[in-house]
Order: sequence, then structure tokens, then C-alpha cells
Amino acid sequence: ERKVEEPEAPAAGNCPEAEAADGGCAWGVVFHFFLVNVLVMGMLKTFGIFFVAFQEEVGGSSEQISWIGSIMSSLRFLGAPLVAVVCRKLGERPTSIAGAAVVAGGCLLSTQATSVPFLCISMGLLLGMGFACLYQAAAVMTAKRCRTRLAFSNAIARSGMGLTFLIAPFTQLLIDFYGWQGTLLVFGGIMLNLVPSSMLLRPVSTQPPRRPPAQSQHHGGSSAAKKDSETLDRCLDESTHKEIQLRSTQDLPTTEGFTVPHGRDVPAPVNTLERVKKATTSSAETATEAKRSYKPHPGTQAGNAQPLLDFSPLKDPIFYIFTWSFLFCHLAYFVPTFHLVARARTLGISSMDASYLVSVAGITEMVSQLLSGWVADKNWTKKYHYHAAYLVLSGITNLLCPLATTFPLLMTYVVAFAVFCGGFMALVLPVLVDLVGVQNLHSYLGFAAFFAGIAAVGGPPLAGWLYDYTQTYVCSFLFAGACALISPISFFFEPSAQKWKLKKSQPKQQPRAWLR
Amino acid sequence: GASGTSVDTTISLDKAVEVELTCILDKEYSYLKSFQVTWKRGNETISHTNKTDSSWSIKVSVSDSSKLGSYSCTLKGEKQLSGIFHLQVPKIERKEKPTISYLRDTGVMSCECPGYTAISWTWYMTNGSKQIVINESLLADRYVISKKSASITQLKILKLSKEDGGEYWCEATFELGKSEGRLELKVLSFVVPLKPFIAIVVEVVVFIALIVCYEIYSTKVKRTETEKEFDQIEHLKSEDSGLESSEARQRRI
Repeated sequence: ERKVEEPEAPAAGNCPEAEAADGGCAWGVVFHFFLVNVLVMGMLKTFGIFFVAFQEEVGGSSEQISWIGSIMSSLRFLGAPLVAVVCRKLGERPTSIAGAAVVAGGCLLSTQATSVPFLCISMGLLLGMGFACLYQAAAVMTAKRCRTRLAFSNAIARSGMGLTFLIAPFTQLLIDFYGWQGTLLVFGGIMLNLVPSSMLLRPVSTQPPRRPPAQSQHHGGSSAAKKDSETLDRCLDESTHKEIQLRSTQDLPTTEGFTVPHGRDVPAPVNTLERVKKATTSSAETATEAKRSYKPHPGTQAGNAQPLLDFSPLKDPIFYIFTWSFLFCHLAYFVPTFHLVARARTLGISSMDASYLVSVAGITEMVSQLLSGWVADKNWTKKYHYHAAYLVLSGITNLLCPLATTFPLLMTYVVAFAVFCGGFMALVLPVLVDLVGVQNLHSYLGFAAFFAGIAAVGGPPLAGWLYDYTQTYVCSFLFAGACALISPISFFFEPSAQKWKLKKSQPKQQPRAWLR
Repeated sequence: GASGTSVDTTISLDKAVEVELTCILDKEYSYLKSFQVTWKRGNETISHTNKTDSSWSIKVSVSDSSKLGSYSCTLKGEKQLSGIFHLQVPKIERKEKPTISYLRDTGVMSCECPGYTAISWTWYMTNGSKQIVINESLLADRYVISKKSASITQLKILKLSKEDGGEYWCEATFELGKSEGRLELKVLSFVVPLKPFIAIVVEVVVFIALIVCYEIYSTKVKRTETEKEFDQIEHLKSEDSGLESSEARQRRI
């Protein structure tokens, strides 16, 4: 019964609307996500350069100023559940545009800053929330639009992070020319570029797929109509299977609630489901009603109570499985990247060579992400198998890192680490989509990001504490290796969790039999 | 201590102390037999205070600036070896890049001599070719000199104007002398970074306009298509109802 999730992928190719989604505007979405990655990650990484300027001119101790950076990067994760709610109410495109506007506004406001608390709010809070909006909207939209090639598109978008190394020298140049205030002004302008690119996040086509649903029940009708009805049947079936599955959880009110007003991918079948149940003979009326239901009609679904903050992911074991792995794989990713250069220095490697290591790591990771995404999309096996494999290999690599004491060995470690890291980071979003489907992606991703944010906040201080306690960077790598090995353990529980979920939904399966 | 052919080292002193300078002969030169080691400062020879087979030391009591300078120990024999000690006041870190501030804003400049404590700091402003002391009483409303810590001093200039740009000097007074650092302040008008900003905003607006136009165009196209489809479906509907009635008639029969 697990396979209900999967047929959506091949069936998506048959549904006419999904085909339209995969071509054309899907590239716009991937491009926007790519841009978001470049700018958001670039801003977060170059905060260190602003740090120096702030310390000199605005005053305040290092701790106070590093709060700004922490607030900025942690709010990006912690703000995700809130953003998920906003996205569901307003839609991704308005949320993304609002996020871009907030980020640009925050940058501009920061130019007037005179004290650290001011900067904490203008730069930390505003930018953090803006980033969360942008990221969540872009990620979910990518998942919605690129059904068949999600892993590869996700990898392309994530490769934007690899380009962030260009932003650091650029920022330094700007600061030399214009001072930190001028630089923030220019950055505000650059962030405004995300507004037109957010406009590329068009909602999935509001046009009803050409189909007279009534035809499926009549022998008459042209052959073209028949073919349409067959494909529609499949579309309907897949979506109805999904809808029925969802009925058993509490998600249905929310999915109905949010899909219909936006006329997204599978809203109409939900309506048709109810209507087909009632009137099988008055097919013509059904057709026109269904058509009319596509026009944004908040009134029709006003009856369904939509919980403002959807807590259903917290009751789902799949969510805990995913979050467990998400948390640990983020820790396993961040800690070595923090301490790589420091470790190289303690081994006596010059800073020039250390920066080579960093560049090699960045480029290898980019390439490996693309490759991993492409391979995963071939669907030779479930995506989370790849994910778990990369995690295990990365864990082993990290555990072997203490043996790397010379430059060539450290370079080998860096290449291996980058390959496996790129591999598993590229698959995080596709794995989540596989596990929970696209409809609930907002709530699940929101909460998962929230928990990951807690890890992100605790990660750097924890790594620093490890170093202070053991006076060597070796422990950070061992810790990262352990995290990477712990992370895929939860996936072993995935099949049993799915069975448990289906058993819970067993009594409600009757409508399906009835429909058949 | 120093050893080898000719070695240089710098020692920074901020207070009056007594230093012992030692020259140690490296093991690789232990084969040298007849030689003579002399300690000199300029032309003046200083007598050893301590002497062993391979090391020679002198003690210098640095009580004022006259005792600062270069002390050298020279080995004359088969080979000529020397080691030089430079005793001086701590140097202030120089800033290569100018500090950038904006008109009517506050300009902040700071000087630091890490690890040493200065007795007092003085700031100078360069007007033309003259150096003018920035006296607190002179321009108390616009200049604020503050001691951030034992080794850092900060000059804040409020309400900057174009004339405030230029060279500034910070001078640290130690027991044994003075040390200077040079800074540059650049005052920019707000318009300077505004130009690239406006250029970017214009580009953004152009993109937004393009996308909006494209969307309006494509929704128009889609609307005509859906109208055509509705017509098709209506047509099929009528066919259907025709079929239905014929079937119904057949059944009744």
C-alpha cells in the first residue's frame, strides 16, 4: 500500500497539467531557488566581514555583535513554521515577494543603525524572517512544480551555495569603496532582485485540464474524449487515492482549505469526488460545476475549518523519523566545515593551502550534488536509500579524519567528505517529498526546519565547547562522524511507520471501495 | 639571544626596564678557535657583564629615550658574525585602508598598540601641511576622544563635513618616548553609493514590468483557449444528451 505515494511520480507524467508544470515555468522556479540560495547563503556567510566593521564603528563587544549573526541565521530556520502558515494562507508567490521586500527593507534600515540592539532587530530579525519566507516558499514551490526531476532541480538550486565564495571578496571591495553603510545600501538593492524572480513562482496552472468528467461514465463520446477521460481517470484515481489516504489524518480539511482557493494541481478532483458521489447521472452539470469551482471560490470551502497552525506533523511518526535525520545530518555538515581550516592550521598547513582546501571542497560538493540529484531521479531505488548510504559513508570518512595529518591526506579527506556531503544534502528535500507528499510539505518542512534551527543555534557553540574541552579539533570531526552515522538509523523505522499509519487509516477506506 | 651570520631582532619597550641582551654562538660554529666578541652601540663599546664559552651578554638599564637604539654583538675572527638588537618604543599599527564615513554622520577612528600601555594619547589633524593638535577645549562639541581600553584610543568626529576628510595622526606617549600612527578619513556624500543602488532598482523595475506584461499576455491567450474549450464541451454535451435520449428511447422499447 506504500506504493500509493510512488505512482504519483510516473502518473504525473501522464496527467496533462503535470506535464505543463514540468516544462516551461518550472525552470523559472529552479532559477529563483538558485538565486535565493546564492543571495541568502552569501549574506549569511559574509556577515563575518561586516562583523569587523561593526565592531569598529558601531561599538559593542564581540559577543553582542555575534548575536546579530546568530539571530539572522537561526531565524531562517526557526521562523519556518510561521512562514508555512503564511504561505498556506496567501500562497507562495506573495509570501516570497513579501520576504524579498522585508530583506531589502531590513538592509536599508540597517544603514541608519547607530547601536547594536538596533542592528539586532533591523538586520537580525528582519533579514532572518525574510530569509525564512524566501527559502520556504522557494523550496515548496520547487517540490510542487518539478515532480519528476525533483532531486536534480533541487541539486541545481543548491549549487548556488557553491557560488557564495564569490560574494566575500565582492563585499570586501564594496566596504573599501563605500563603507559598511554604502555596502548595506547596495545589498538592499541586490536583494530587491529577488522580487522579480519571486514573480516567476507562478501558481500551477489554474486552467482545468481538458476533460469532461462525465464521459468516463458514458459509452458515447469521441475517441479523443475517451482518451482524455482515461488519463483523467488515472489522474483522478491517483489523486483520489491520495485524498482518501489523507482523509484519515487530520490533514484533509487543510488540504481542501488551501488547495481550492488557489486552484492548484489536484483541487478539482476533491470537489468532483464529492459531486460525483452525489450525481452520477447529471454529468453535464458536474462538468460545468467542476469548471466553475476552479475560479477562486473561497466561499465553497468556507465550511471546512482550517486550523491556523497545523500541528498534525507533530502526530506523525514519519515526521519524527525525518526530523531526527535532518537534525543530525545538518550537525554533521556544519561542524567539519567550521573547523576544517583551523585543523589545517594546527597541522602546520599554510593559510594559502588551507584556502585551497576550502575551494576544492566547495567545487567538489557542487559537482557531487548535481550527480547525486541526477542519479536519484533515475528512481533505481528509493531516494532515502541513497540518502542513508551517503550519510553512512560520510560518517565513516569523518571518523577516519583524525588519521589525515598531512596535506595530501587532508585533501583526500576533503574530497571524500565533499562528495558524500553533497550527495546527502541534495537529497534532503526529495526524501521529505517522498515521505509525506507535496500537499503537506509546508507544515512538515516548517516544523522540520524549526527543529533543525534549534540544532543550528546549538551547533557552533557546541563545536567551540568541544574544542575548548579537548584542546584539539579532532573531536569535532569524530562528533560529526557520529552524528552522520546516527542520522540514518531512523530510516530503518520508516517501513514500519508507514504500516502503522495505514493501519490507522484502515476504517476510513470504505469510500474508496464505494467509488470503485 | 642571536646567533648566525647576521641576525636582527626588535624589542619593544613601553616602560623603563633593565634588559639583558645575550648573543649565543650556534653549535655549527663551535670549530672557530681564535676570535673576539665585542658589544657596541654605534661607536661606543660596552663591556660584557657575563661571559661563557659560547655566549656573551650585556645588561642595559633603559631609563630614558637616550638608551634606546641598536645594540650589536660582533664576532671577529676567521668569520664575521653579528647580531643586532633594536630597542625601541612600541609601534602603533598602521591602517592602510582609509576609514569611510558619510556627511553629517559620525566618523570613528581608532588607534591601537596591542599589549602595551600608553601614558597618554594625542590626536593631530593635518590642515594643509601643518599638524594641529585636537584639543578638547578647542572643538569640544565636535570631537570626542575616548580611551576604549589600556591600549586603544578612539576619536569620534560628529557631524562630518567635507573638510574633515584627510590625514590624522594619533600619538602615544610612553615613558621612553613617543610613537605615531597615521590614519586617513574619507568623507563621502550619500549620493555616492546611491548611484549603484538606483541603477539596481531601475533594473529590478524593468524586470518586474517585463514579467507582469508577459503574464497579462499569457492569461489573455489562455482565456481565449478556455473559451474555445467551453464551446467544445458544450458541443459534446449536446451530443451526449442526444445520445442519452436515443439510448433511453431504445431501452424503453
